[in-house]
Amino acid sequence: MEFLQLALNGVALGAAYALVALGFVLILNATGAVNFAQGDLVAAGGFVAVALAGILPAPGYLLLPLVAILMAALGLAVSAVAYWPLRDRPPVAVFISTIALGIIIQNGLNGLFGAEPRAAPPLFAGGQLEFFGLVIARQSLSIMATAALLIGAVQLLLTRTQLGRRLRATAQDREVAAALGIPVGAMIALTFALAAALAGAAGMLLANRYFITPTHGTDFIVKAYIAVVIGGWGRIGGALAGAMLVALFETVVAAWADYAVATGLLYVAMLTILVFRPRGLFGEAEGRRA
Amino acid sequence: MTARHPVRAWLGRDVNALVLAGAIGLLAWPFLTGDAYSLRLLTVAGVYGLAAIGYQFVFGHAGALSLAQGAFFGLGAYAAGIMSVRTGAGFEVTFPAAMAAAAVLAALVALPVLRLRSHYFALATLAVGQVALVIAVNWESVTGGANGIPNVPVPSLFGASVGRGWPMLLLVWSLVAAGAVVARRLTGGLTGAALLLMREQPMAAEAAGIDIRRVRFAAFLLSALYGGAAGALQVHTVRVVSPEVLEFPVMVMLLAIAVVGGRTSISGAILGAVLLIHLPEWFRPLERYYLVAYGVALLAMIVAAPWGLMGSLSRARQRWLPEPEPPLPAAGRVPAGRPPARLAIAGLTRHFGGVRAVDGIDLVVEPGESVGIVGANGSGKTTLLNMIAGVETPDSGRIRWGKSDIAGLPPYRIARAGIGRSFQALKLIDGLTVLDNVAAAAWRETGGPDRDAARASAMALLQALDLAPMAWRRCGALPPGLRRRVEIARALIGGPALLLLDEPAAGLTAAERDSVAGTLAALNAGGTTVVVVEHDLAFLEGFVARIVCLDQGRIIADGAPADVRSDPGVISAWLGQPPDEGHKHD
Amino acid sequence: MTEALLAVAGLTVAYADVRAVHALDLDVRSGEVVALIGANGAGKSSLLKGLMGLGGNVQGKILLAGSDLSGLPPQRRARLGVGYVPEGRRVFAGMTTEENLLVASRDGGAARAACTEEMYALFPQLGVRRDAPAWQLSGGEQQMLAVARALMARPRLLLVDEPTLGLAPAAARSVIRVLRGIAATGAAVLLAEQNARAALAAADRAVLMRLGRIAATGTAEALAGDERLLRSLMGG
Repeated sequence: MEFLQLALNGVALGAAYALVALGFVLILNATGAVNFAQGDLVAAGGFVAVALAGILPAPGYLLLPLVAILMAALGLAVSAVAYWPLRDRPPVAVFISTIALGIIIQNGLNGLFGAEPRAAPPLFAGGQLEFFGLVIARQSLSIMATAALLIGAVQLLLTRTQLGRRLRATAQDREVAAALGIPVGAMIALTFALAAALAGAAGMLLANRYFITPTHGTDFIVKAYIAVVIGGWGRIGGALAGAMLVALFETVVAAWADYAVATGLLYVAMLTILVFRPRGLFGEAEGRRA
Repeated sequence: MTARHPVRAWLGRDVNALVLAGAIGLLAWPFLTGDAYSLRLLTVAGVYGLAAIGYQFVFGHAGALSLAQGAFFGLGAYAAGIMSVRTGAGFEVTFPAAMAAAAVLAALVALPVLRLRSHYFALATLAVGQVALVIAVNWESVTGGANGIPNVPVPSLFGASVGRGWPMLLLVWSLVAAGAVVARRLTGGLTGAALLLMREQPMAAEAAGIDIRRVRFAAFLLSALYGGAAGALQVHTVRVVSPEVLEFPVMVMLLAIAVVGGRTSISGAILGAVLLIHLPEWFRPLERYYLVAYGVALLAMIVAAPWGLMGSLSRARQRWLPEPEPPLPAAGRVPAGRPPARLAIAGLTRHFGGVRAVDGIDLVVEPGESVGIVGANGSGKTTLLNMIAGVETPDSGRIRWGKSDIAGLPPYRIARAGIGRSFQALKLIDGLTVLDNVAAAAWRETGGPDRDAARASAMALLQALDLAPMAWRRCGALPPGLRRRVEIARALIGGPALLLLDEPAAGLTAAERDSVAGTLAALNAGGTTVVVVEHDLAFLEGFVARIVCLDQGRIIADGAPADVRSDPGVISAWLGQPPDEGHKHD
Repeated sequence: MTEALLAVAGLTVAYADVRAVHALDLDVRSGEVVALIGANGAGKSSLLKGLMGLGGNVQGKILLAGSDLSGLPPQRRARLGVGYVPEGRRVFAGMTTEENLLVASRDGGAARAACTEEMYALFPQLGVRRDAPAWQLSGGEQQMLAVARALMARPRLLLVDEPTLGLAPAAARSVIRVLRGIAATGAAVLLAEQNARAALAAADRAVLMRLGRIAATGTAEALAGDERLLRSLMGG
C-alpha cells in the first residue's frame, strides 16, 4: 500500500519530468545539440506563473496557456541567441552556449524574485483526494492530466499535421528537408518555442506542489538528460519512459533515504547503465541519420 | 638570422611576453591597494588558474567536454582539508595526497567513461561530480556533512607556517608558475601539433600510428592531478572545507575560464581566471545581477570569439603583424622504410544490412608491387581499403601482412605495422603549416622524435615531393593538388612499407594528376608497395603494373592494365548494364 | 526553338579540397531528359548540388525560367520549382512512406491527398507499402520513394543524382523508365548517372563530363555509339 502511494506520487512527478524530457529530445533531434538551458526554462516557467498570479486574478488553468505562450517567446529568444549563431559549429559549442544562457536565466530569476522558494497557484484546486486508502493531491492529478494532454497534443501535432511532419523531417535530415522546400530555420525556431512552452508548463505545474527556486534548473536538466540517456538518445518514447523511471526511482528512494541520496543513487544507476550499455538502455533512435 | 624590424620582432614574439608584462602588473596591483581582500582574491584567482590549466588538458587539448574538473578540484580540497585537520600533516604531505586522491578517482572512472560518445561523456563526468557531492554532504563522520569542516590551518611547509596574505599568495602563484611550465613542456612543440591533429582529424592521427585512447586517458589523468592540486590550495586559502567546493558552479567557472581565456592557451587560463574571479567584484554594483553578466560574458565569448581572448589575440597578431617566414629547416634523411612484406587477403567479406559490400575477396600483393583497385561506386573498393586500414572489421576472412594477422586490428596498430594510408577527403589541418602537418604524424606518446628531428624528416620528404618551398605555408592556403602531395608526405613519414591511397586523383586538374602519378611512380621505384583505389584508369596507367577490378564486392578482373581495360566484363560493369530495348519510347 | 527552362552559364563549384565544376554552360528545356554522364569525380553530383544550393562555393549564373537562383537557399529554389532526388536516396527513415510523400507536398489537405494517390498510381510498389516506415523499404523502393517525394511539389525541373546506385538491374530499369515518363508530363529532368548506358537509353540529350568540364555533348543516340565515350569514361 505504502508502495502504491509512492508509485502514485512518482507517476505525478514523472508526468512533469516527461514534459521536460520531451522538450529536450525535440531540440536534440532537430539540432543534434544538447540544450542545457532546458532545466532553467522549467524554473522560468514556474516563476512566470508566480508573477502572473500576482498580477492577474485568474485561476491556474487560465494562466497555463498564458505561461506557455510567454515561454514559447522565450524559447524563440533562446534559439536566436544560443543556437542560431552556432548552427554550423560542432554541437559542443551549443552545449556551452546553453550552459551560459542557463546561467543568465537562473541568475536573472534570482535577481528578479530572490532565492526563496515560491509557489505557483494550483491548476484547478489544491487539497487532496482520498480513494481506496490512497491519498492523492488534486494538483498531482492535474499534473498527470495536463501532461497527458500536452504530450498527446504534441504527438498529434507530430504525426497528424503537416507542420509536425515538417518538424520531424527537419530533425531527420535537414539538408534534404530544405531541398524539399521546408523552411528549416523556422522549423528549428519553432522546435525551441515548443520545447520552452512544454518546459514552462512543467514549471508551473511543479511549482505548486514542490515549490520553485531559481537553482532548481540544474536539477531538472540533469534529470531530463538522464531520462534521455536511459530511454535511448533521440527516441521520444524512450525519453518519456526514461522520465517516468527517473521520477519513480527518485520518489521511492527518497522515501527510504533522503532526497540527496536518491539523486546520488540515480547518478550511480545511470553511470552503471552506461558502463554496460554505452549506447543507452534501449539504444539510439532507429533510422536516424548518424 | 634574418634582420627583423625591432618593434615587429618584439610584438611578434610569443604573446606570452605581453602576458608576462600583464602578470607582473597584476602582482604589483596588491602593492598599491595592499588590503587583505585583494590579496585573497588574487590568491583564489591563482588557484582557479591552476585548475583551469589542468582542465585544458582534457577540454582543450584532447577536445573532450569533461564536466568532472570540479569533482577533482573538490576531492583534492576535501582530501587536503581532512588530512590537515585530522592528522595535522604538513602541506608537503597533504598536497601530494590531494593530487593522488583526484588521480585515483580519474583512473577509476576513466575506463568506462572515456569510451562513451561525446554526449554521454559530458553527462557521465557531470554525474561523477554530483555523486561526489552527495557523498560529501552525507558522510558526516568523515566530511563534516553539509557544514563541512571549519578551521583548516594555514599550510605548513616542512614545519614553516605559510601565513595569510602575501605568503599564501606567493605559494599559490609559484605553484601556478610551476604548473604552467610543466604544462607547456607537456603540450608544446611537436606534441602540440600532434594534439591538434588528434582533435581535428582523429582518423588521420590514427592512420599515423597515434593511439588516441591512451592520449585521452593521459589528458584526463593530468587534468585530475592539476584539479586536485588546486583544490588543496583552495582549502588552505579559504580555511574551510565545505560541499560548496563540489557544486556545479565551480565546474561552470572552470569551463568559463577555459572558454574565455582560450582552450589551449596556458596564459589564457591564467588570464581567464584572473578576469573571471575579479569580474563579480567589478559587477558588484549590479548587485544580484552580477552573475548574469557572467553568463553574458561566457555566451558572448563562445559565439563571437570561440578561441578565447588569447586565441583572438594570437590570430589578430598573425593577421596584422605576421612573422616573416623563418629559414627552412635542414632536411634530415628520408625516414627509413620498414622492411617490405607481403599482403595476403583471403576470403574477405563484409555485409551492411542486406548488402554484401565485399563478398569473398582473395588478393595477394607482393612487396614492391604497384596495384590499382578500380570499380564503380558500390563495388566494394572503399570497404576493402577500409578493412585493410583497420577502419572497418571484416565479417570473415583473413588479412595477413608479412607474418602477422592484421584483420580487425585498430588503425593505429596497422599504421605501426608499416601500412600507411591517405584519405579521399584530405584530412589536413588547414591552420597548421605544411611542415608541421607532416611532422605531427611522426609523434609518439613515448619514444618518438622531438620537434626538430621530426621536422628534419618532414623536410626531407617535402624535398622529395617538390614541396620544400611551401614548408612554412599554411595548408589551407594551398591548391588541392599540392595539398594532396602534402597528405602523401604525411603518410610517408612513418616509413611505411605499403602505402594505401584512396582516390588520390579526386578533384585534381590533369597537370596535377600527372604530377601525383609521377610521385607515386617514384615512390614505387624506391621500393614502397603502392595500392591505389581509383576511378581514373589513365591516371593509374601512369604508374601501376597491375589493375584489379571489383564489381558488387568481388574481383572480376586482375591483370595488366591493357588487358583489364579491354575485358568485356569490366567494360560492362563500368558503363553499366544496357537496359532492355525499346525503353526509350515507352 | 523553345526557350530553355534552365540556363546555366559559367558555373563553378568548389569545395575545400576539390574544384568540382569549372565554368560550365548548360541548357535544359522543358520536357526533355538530359543525362549527365562521366566517371566519378567528373563533377556530376557537384553540379546538381550546386544547382540546388546545397553547399560549396558556387559562382556563375543559374536561371530557371528567367529567375536567378544564385545565392538563394535550397528551400527557395524548391519553391521556385526545382525538385531534387539526392544521391543515396536519403528518405526520411523514421517516417512512413505516406508521411514521406505528404511532407513534401506544398498543397493543402485535399490536394495533398490527391497528389499522394497519383504517386501511388505511378509507383504501385509504394502504394502497397504506404504505412511501412521508410527504413524497412528495399533499395529500389526507397529510390522510388525519393523520386515520388520530389514529385509531390510538381517541380518544373527535376534533378536526379545517381538513382541507380546500389540497385539491382530490374529496379534500375524501373527507375529510369519512370524518369522518362516524368519528362513526358512537361517537366525537365537532369539526370546524373554512373550507369551510362541506362542513362543514355532514357535521355534525349547527353552531356559527358570530365574533370569538372563538359567533354562532349549531343543527342543520346549519338553519344551511345561514340567510341570516345568508352575511352573517356574509363579515363584517358
